[in-house]
Formats: sequence, C-alpha cells, structure tokens
Amino acid sequence: MKRNLFALLSLLVLASMVLAACGGGAATEAPATEEPAPPPTEAPATEAPTEAPAMPEFEGKSLMAADCDSTGIIKGVEATGQYEVTFTLCQPDPAFLSKIAFSVYGIYPEEWLEATAGAEGRTSEGLEKPIGTGPYMVSEWNRGESITFTANPNYWGDAPAAETLVFRWSTESAARLLELQSGTVDAIDNVGPEDFETVSNDANLKLMERPALNTFYIAMTNTFAPFDNQAVRQAIAKGIDRQRIVDTFYPPGSEVASHFTPCAIPNACVGDPWYEFDPEAARAELAAAGFPDGFKTKLYYRDVVRGYLPQVSNVAQDIQAQLKENLNIDAEIVVMESGAFIEESSAGRLDGFYLLGWGADFPHVTNFLDYHFGAANPQFGNQSPTYTEILAQAAQIADVAEAAPLYEQANNAIREYVPMIPVAHGGSGTAWRADVTNPQASPLSNEVFYVSDPGGRDVFVWMQNAEPISLFCADETDGESLRACEQVVEALYSYEINGTAVEPALAESCEPNDTLDVWVCTLRQGVTFHDGTTFDANDVVATFTMGLDASSPLHKGNTNVFEYYDYLWGLMNKPQ
Amino acid sequence: MTNAENKIATLDAEGISLKSVSLWQITWRRLFRRLSAVVGMIVLGVLIVIALTAQWLAPYDPIVPMMDLTPPEPVKARQDPCIHLFGCPRDQPQHIAGIDGNVRDQFSRLLYGARLSLMIGFSTVGFAIIIGTILGAVAGYLGGWADNVIMRFMDVLLAFPSLLLAIAIVTVLGPGLINALLAIGIVSIPAYARVVRASVLSVREMEYVSATRALGGSNIQILFRRILPNALTPLIVQGTLGIATAILDSAALSFLGLGAQPPTPEWGAMLGAERNQVFTAPHLVFLPGIAIALTVLSFNLLGDGLRDALDPRLAHVS
Repeated sequence: MKRNLFALLSLLVLASMVLAACGGGAATEAPATEEPAPPPTEAPATEAPTEAPAMPEFEGKSLMAADCDSTGIIKGVEATGQYEVTFTLCQPDPAFLSKIAFSVYGIYPEEWLEATAGAEGRTSEGLEKPIGTGPYMVSEWNRGESITFTANPNYWGDAPAAETLVFRWSTESAARLLELQSGTVDAIDNVGPEDFETVSNDANLKLMERPALNTFYIAMTNTFAPFDNQAVRQAIAKGIDRQRIVDTFYPPGSEVASHFTPCAIPNACVGDPWYEFDPEAARAELAAAGFPDGFKTKLYYRDVVRGYLPQVSNVAQDIQAQLKENLNIDAEIVVMESGAFIEESSAGRLDGFYLLGWGADFPHVTNFLDYHFGAANPQFGNQSPTYTEILAQAAQIADVAEAAPLYEQANNAIREYVPMIPVAHGGSGTAWRADVTNPQASPLSNEVFYVSDPGGRDVFVWMQNAEPISLFCADETDGESLRACEQVVEALYSYEINGTAVEPALAESCEPNDTLDVWVCTLRQGVTFHDGTTFDANDVVATFTMGLDASSPLHKGNTNVFEYYDYLWGLMNKPQ
Repeated sequence: MTNAENKIATLDAEGISLKSVSLWQITWRRLFRRLSAVVGMIVLGVLIVIALTAQWLAPYDPIVPMMDLTPPEPVKARQDPCIHLFGCPRDQPQHIAGIDGNVRDQFSRLLYGARLSLMIGFSTVGFAIIIGTILGAVAGYLGGWADNVIMRFMDVLLAFPSLLLAIAIVTVLGPGLINALLAIGIVSIPAYARVVRASVLSVREMEYVSATRALGGSNIQILFRRILPNALTPLIVQGTLGIATAILDSAALSFLGLGAQPPTPEWGAMLGAERNQVFTAPHLVFLPGIAIALTVLSFNLLGDGLRDALDPRLAHVS
C-alpha cells in the first residue's frame, strides 16, 4: 500500500517533470519560431553588400589627428574599405612611397598589437616573436647565439627556397669569413676591406659589392670654439686629404664624397663639388682666422664598423695625423661607447671633431639632407637658415627637375657653412657561397633571403655583424635588427631586390591625388598573418596608430621612442 | 770529477773570503750558474737597450703615418715585410716588420713598444711595491687591529680575479694608459703586502731587533733600518715575476681598448687593432704577440732564477 503510493507519487513527479520540460521547451521554442521571421527580412539587407554571409560587417577604423598642429606629416589613416586605406597628409609628400616601403612600417595584426602592448612597453613576446605576413616566421631566438626562422607555408608570394633560415652574428670580419670558408654559413655581411681580394679569388665564394649609398663625415659642433668660426671650418675642410683616406682605408667601390648625399640619388650632386685638398691654402686661412699655430681639440668616435666606416680606428688615427701635419691641430683621440656617443653627438654636446656617418633608409635626397640639416637638428650646433629654409621648401616638390635648383642652392649653402666635412661614400660587400642562388647586396642593406636557394640545402645560414636588439622593428633603428625583421614583417610597399625602386607588397597600389597630400592604398586580398588572421585595412590603421599616436595604448615598443615614425612622419599627440 | 772540482773550488772561494762575500755576490754567482736565468737576463738586457735607444734605432716615426705615398715610399697599408737581405728589391724601402694598418713602419712601432712595455712593467710594480710594502710592514709590525683591517682589505682585493678588477677600475676611471697603469698597480698591491707582512713577522722576533729596541730605537727606525732590509729578498723575486704579469695585464687591457689609446705604439693595442688581419697580414698580429711573449718569458726566467738563487734552503742544492 505504502509502496504503491510511493510509486504513484514518483510517477506523478516524473510526469510533471516531463510536462515541465516539454512545456518549457514549447514556451521557448514558440518565440524562436516567431523571431526568425524578422531576420530574414533584415539579413539580406546587411549581408548582401559584403557578399559574405558568415562574416560580420566590416567596420573601418581610423586614426585622425585633431588638426595639423598636433601631428607631423600624417593627419590621418582611415580604413575606407576592407581593403582600402586612405592616408591624409598635412603637406604634399613626394617621397611617400619610398618612405612607406621602409621596413620599420611593416604591418602587424591588430589583435596581436593589442595583446602584446604591455603597460610600460611591448611584452617580450612582442619584442621577440613578431607576427607578420612575411615569407619566414620566427621560431626561436637563442639569445647570444642565433635566431631561427621557419618558412611561412601560407606566404602570398613565391614560396621560400629554404625551409629554415638562421641568423648568426660575429663582430670580427675575419671570423665571419672563416665561417663562410668552412661552409658553416651560406652568406656573410660586411666582408673586411682587406678580404675583398681573397673572396673574389676563391672559386667557392661570390663577392657582391654593395653600392655606396651612405656617407661618412667629420662633424664639428659649431657651438664650441673655435668651430663657431666659419673660416676655421672652411680651412679644416680644405686641410683634410679625403682621397688618401678613401684610397688607404676603403674597399673597392668606395668613392670620395663630392656632396653630402651619394650621387646615385636624384638631385644629390647638384651644386659645386666639395673643396679640393690644399694644405697651404688651409694653413693660410686658419692663420687668417686667428690660429696660426693651430689649436688643441678632441676627436671622438665609437669603435663600431659600419658600411660608411669600415676601419674606424685607422681612419680616426689618419685624420688625427692629417690634422697635425696639415693644420697643426692637436686632436686627442677619445673612443666612446656606441650608445653614449650617439646620444652625445646627436644632442650636439661633443666639443671637438666627431666621426659619424649615415646609411640611406630610403633612396631620397630628403633622407640625407633634411635629417641632418633640418633646423631642429642640433648635432652640428646651430644650423644656418641659408639652407634649412630651402630644404623645407624643396621637400614638398615632387618633380626632380623642378626641385633641382633648390637643392643646388642648399648644397652650395652647406658647402659654404661647413657644418661637417663629407669624406666618403663607403662601398661594402657581402660574400656568398657560390652555389647559393640570387646573391644579394642591397644598397639599403635589406637583403631578403626567401629568394635565395642555398644550393638545395634545407637551411640557409646568414651571418651579420651583430645580434638584433629586438625584432619589433617599429621601434628600432639598428640595421642589424631591421634586416631580421624584414624576413618576417612586410610593409605596404617594398624595395626591389638589390635595388632601391619601390614595388607593391601588401598594397597592390597606392595612388595620390593631384596635390600629393591624399594617398589611397588598395590592399592585397587573401593575405594571412602567421597567426592565421586575415590581413585587412584595420591592421594597417592599427599599425600606424601604434607607431604614430603617442597617446594610444598601442604606442608601446622597445624604447617607446619610435624614432623612425617620429623622424619620417612626426608623432601625433606628442606629450608636451 | 769536474763537478767535484767545481764544488771544492767554490767551497774554497767561500772559505777564503768569508768576510767579504755578501749575500748579493752569492746570489749573482748562483744566478749565473743557471742557464735559464742567464737567457732571461740576456733577452731582458737586449730589451732594455732597445727601450733606451728606440729613438735612434727606429728608422721611421712610430706615430705619424707616412704622408707622402709617392715614390720613394710606394707603400700601402698592411704591406708585407720588405727585407733586402731576404730578396726584397733594393729599390724598395726596407720595412723589416712590414707596414701597419695606418701606413706606419711596424718595426719602429715594435721598438717603441718595448720602451712602453718596460715602462709599464717597472712603474706599476714600483707603485705596487711601495704601497704594498708600507701596508704589509705596518700590518706585520704593529699587528692587532691594524693588521686585521689592512690584511682583510687585501684579502678582499685578492678575492677578485685581478684582470676583472683592473677592467672594473678602468671602467670607473675611464680608458687610458695612465688609468690602466693605476688599475694594474692597485690589483697587484695585495701580493706584495702579504709577502712583506710575512717577512716582517718572522724578522721582528729576531734578537738583533730586540737589541735595537733595547738600545732605544724608535719604531720607524726599527722598521725601516732593521726589519725591512732583511725582509727584502722575497720582495725582489715577487717583483720580478710581478713585472711579467703587469706587462701581460696591460697588454690585455690595451687589446680590449681600455689601456693605451691609439696611436700609442703599445704591443697589446697593436695586436688588438689588427686582430682581423690574422690571415691577410699575419705579421701585424704575430710580431707584437711574440714581443709580448718574449718580454714576459724573460722576466719569468729571471724571476725563477732569482728565487732559486735567493732561497737559503736551496743554497747547497745548486
């Protein structure tokens, strides 16, 4: 009896539960059948334009400065379509394509930029394993040893020739050559000037001479006596035998600088060539300027080999000896640590001569002249308005012939004012094993290795001078770092292999308006990043927001200075 | 047979002129009996002569590059040695050790380098001996807390690897030859301080010291007139060996760019500047290296010889 009752009760409970379940289901299903009715009417309206039913509508983002006072050259970057980006500039920029192709402006995926923007700077993931669209992906960075890259299987261009790419480094040119000769590396950078002959005589090796797209100069900061006297600077300019320096210390392919900018660049060498070496006249002029017995000063340099200065200490000692011999100037040699030297020299705090140079970032005369002789650059002390104003004017003219008279004036004014003495355009070279295809020696030092097949081997090993500082190149200036980034990250345009002309990369084209201040870039479709996300216009906007907008939370890098974004475009919303 | 004769002869010599033979004469005699020490002395003698007469021996200026490269000086940087005796054409100027990276005569630079290296060796060790002797003598003579403070400080200095400590000191003072000398001098002080202290400890209990004290000699007088002269022998050995170390250390510092600054013809700096030319111009790397090795070897040989000669326990062995 009791047992039956219990069975009945449990049955009842069960039945009610079933009912509840069914009723509930009915209650929720009913609106569901009612609700889908409106979407079919709405859905076609939203989905039809993109023709991609699975994807949400593309919401173009934008970066826009309030006005041109709070930004540099770029006023805004807008995603005007999923594959269209519009750059609005505050002034015409004829060098836009050359600049945009610079690897520092490589495009990163938006989500990754957000995920790796730490509070104080890029996270170590962001600094060491960048995500790009390039032919190689970073697989491992063994600090102090090597960086290993693996081929990107989804690369939009030609598939990389070698499955694995390895970057190694050694500061000693003899050590690099030894590694190449023993076959442990496939190519090396910066063959020592004295080894050019060895490499060209070796049938197993191939020497590639890098065009001399750089300048080595002897700077004088004119806020310090006696360099404040223009006549003194001119006398010194005539008292240095530059031909001797190039003949003795530079490899083949180098030349004496007739102008500050190498002549391969359009408009670089208009105007009078530099002063002839004339020690007697130099001594007489120095005496007339009030220093018949010369003077005592210092000669600063950093012991770092660059393409423009292949034998630092030797050149410094020769200049020291020449100053003494030709002008009776006693210059004490002071070797400085690289970082401190750059900091002190670029701030104009070195009270003597200093030896520095410049390698082209992009092949345009503004890259040389405007950077060094702009009114705001204190590295030579006070700049002269005789050239700063003309340079600012000339920078806005796209036509080479039209700008030529202005550059002629500027070059002559620089020659007259002598903020520095241009000495040489240094040739340098890379050496490759003979069986490697497409050997390169880029004038801009940005060799890309996916086109080079290392004689059928799986691994291509490249050896350069130094270890990259970080692989987040939006915030790097060091060439050794940039070259590693170039294998991984791509910009909207790129430079042709072994040349300086630009060609489309992530953009299919960028077209300017008539006044050169609006550039519309049509992006390549179907490109994916290494993490699988699809490349679109918002990634471009996010990348430029990261680089340009100082107020953005994305504006985080290695040093957070973003030197190249600042120098070539000017940062937006800079803190005062 | 001949050995026995020799022994008798020396015994005779010592026996006859017992009063007039000083410790130094005995030392000299013992020293000349050791071939290695003699070789060391000869090499060192040659080096000293070169150092003193470098300006007359050197055919070219060691610092100023050859400016006029037109004939009769058709040389280029890092040219191989040209020695007329070994078949180099007579119409070419002779450069026994070749030309360095700055178009200077390497041989002249090597000669001047000898002067610099010896100067470095003697001056750093001189500095270290003076300071070390004072500290060690005070510590050993006074004892007590002065001994403790000074010697513990020396122990701290000794705890660092000497070259590393020298690099640290140069980093603070700034690179340069004088600073490098100072750094090497400082790091070699403890060795001398310990040697002197040990000698002073053993000598100060001698009876003649007590006698001087009883006669009313002051502490200073006892220390400098009675104790130190008799604690000198180990210092000489230590000093000779120390010069070798000092030369090596300064060459290392210069190689690293922390010592002598260009264009000073210092062997370590010369080697460091041309280290990348080890295959293309080996003479620029190996000759300074050989010069350093020879100098250090000569001091070491002489130091070993002196130690044996001065050690009373080895007096009857030789």
